[in-house]
Amino acid sequence: MRPRPGEVVLNNATRSFQVRRDRNRTLKELVVRRSSNSAAATVKALRDVTLHIEPGEAVGLVGRNGAGKSSTLACLAGILPLDSGRAECGGRVVTLLELGAGFGADFSGRENIYLNGALHGFERDEIEERIADVISFSELGEFIDLPVKVYSSGMFLRLGFSIAAHMDADVMLIDEILAVGDESFQRKCLARISERMEAGATMVLVSHDPSAIERVCRRVVVLDAGRVAFDGDVAEGLMAHHRLLGTSEGGSRSVRPGHAGALEVAELELQDTLGRSRNVFRPGEALRVRMSLVTPEPAERVVAAIEVRDGRGETCFRTDSVVGSVSGTVEVSFAIDRLALLGGDYDVAVGAAPQDAPEGRWLDRVARLSVSSVAGGHGVADLRGEWSVAGEPAEALAGRRSL
Amino acid sequence: MLSYRFLFEQMVRRELRQKYKGSALGVLWYLVNPLVLMGAYALVFSVLLRVANVPDYPLFLLIGLIVWVFFSQALLAAAPSLVTNASLVRKVRFPREAIPASVATVQLVTFLVMLVLVTPVALVVRGTLDPALALLPLIVALLFCFVLGLSLAVAVLHAHYRDVEPVLAAALLPWFFVTPIFLRVEDLPGVDSRAWLGDLLQWGNPIAPFVDAVRDVLYAGVAPSVGHMAYVAVVGLLALGGGVALFRRMERDLAAIL
Repeated sequence: MRPRPGEVVLNNATRSFQVRRDRNRTLKELVVRRSSNSAAATVKALRDVTLHIEPGEAVGLVGRNGAGKSSTLACLAGILPLDSGRAECGGRVVTLLELGAGFGADFSGRENIYLNGALHGFERDEIEERIADVISFSELGEFIDLPVKVYSSGMFLRLGFSIAAHMDADVMLIDEILAVGDESFQRKCLARISERMEAGATMVLVSHDPSAIERVCRRVVVLDAGRVAFDGDVAEGLMAHHRLLGTSEGGSRSVRPGHAGALEVAELELQDTLGRSRNVFRPGEALRVRMSLVTPEPAERVVAAIEVRDGRGETCFRTDSVVGSVSGTVEVSFAIDRLALLGGDYDVAVGAAPQDAPEGRWLDRVARLSVSSVAGGHGVADLRGEWSVAGEPAEALAGRRSL
Repeated sequence: MLSYRFLFEQMVRRELRQKYKGSALGVLWYLVNPLVLMGAYALVFSVLLRVANVPDYPLFLLIGLIVWVFFSQALLAAAPSLVTNASLVRKVRFPREAIPASVATVQLVTFLVMLVLVTPVALVVRGTLDPALALLPLIVALLFCFVLGLSLAVAVLHAHYRDVEPVLAAALLPWFFVTPIFLRVEDLPGVDSRAWLGDLLQWGNPIAPFVDAVRDVLYAGVAPSVGHMAYVAVVGLLALGGGVALFRRMERDLAAIL
């Protein structure tokens, strides 16, 4: 059964690659048979992937490097054949797997619009109908009639996106291209994508930038080692993605340099509001640092300390509290109403010791805290707020301009 | 099919632009090569060695040379074409035949330009304005089928086995010397006593009958025999059919190989 226009179907899709130390086969290998199987190893890029995307949906594909995201797109586009299973897109498909793939360097921007349109299967008259829109969207102005080899990478990108975004496709397959280019153009691209979606186009987007996915997609598919690890709501999906990127779930590690027998933090975990152990949080979420102190012999005037450090080891925040007398085990927790950190990886370090213990005797355990990134700000502290320009509310950019 | 045509046209334009970029003389440069070869071989074979007793020998040479240059340049350009366009093959879905086909077509354009320049010269010098001339477009079309089929084959083979291009480059030089470009096979002194060798050189080398057919029409002003035309037609169409079939068979995994 052919899929309807805009429908995307992957059924038990499986694809593996032969990876060779020496990538290219030579005639010698063909003649001397045994050399070819010794050097080859099979990597499974897609294992039994089943996905069904309805017309008009926007789906973000995320996953670690090598998880199979780009292979999935290439299979959907029909560029890469499957070993088994089915991959089909209904209607007209436009791919943006690499901006400017197939551009003639000596062609002007205008000539490349025709060439690129033709590569995507469009006719001269279809391209002529849209060429004015493409040129104005690309903001290239007079450069449109200069050869693209004189373009800056930003101009190259703007032209590539403008072409693909104006070829009316039922399905758009986009790989990691919104991450480049300047911010205002990026926003224009996202707006154009939304427009195309309102017109009923289906979007499958691969990106390492969660904010781009959040802005466009309602649904996220997390791939891990060629399998679908998660398929559903965007917030949960990005969380699942960060879990894969981060350390093992809910864990912490001991960093105490082996003075066993003294008071220590035996357990440490980060919990969400439902009491579930987690390492990935979103800015603004509530979280609780829970630890249990264990001492073999009763200790007096014990103080517990928590320190949050950023990726470079700089302290973002430190707090401590008197626990008092401890014998056996005591539970200690620190509740944060609103996590005021922006996206990135942090360490939550904890320690407990008698209050007069010397420096260097405090640190006990460290847990990894991954904060998923959001649009609208840059840095460590989450101080996001409302902009207004001449009394009118304005949108915050991603904060990439360093002063 | 229609969109295929528009795409093909765009690809050929891209190849043409790439080939002639930044050269003021453009396509004229490609006339220099056969002209220089013509001068050198005329000097060696006609003046120095005196083995060639052919009237208007430079013209005789030139006609053979432009066919050979078309054939060899097309194959040499087509062989690496998929590899040099790897990013396009990996990132965009379109009929991949368009890549080697457009490369071969660019060579055809160059060939046609030379033919247009050489034909009036031949007609004036040799007085070969004969009804046989009407066969020239057909012969050229069949020659293009032959070259296109081989171009598709060497391109897809080279994508799979990267030593196809160097092997081809190495094979073309001896191939050139056994092709009847300097002399007609029957004029070679060595084949008089060995008829089988003459037949082998004439019919065992698929490009030889094309060279002969073009020369028959342009230089000698006679139509090739029916058998000769049949040979050219069969070889041209077989090469095209075989090339397309091989390409279809081997293109499946191109995106993973390149």
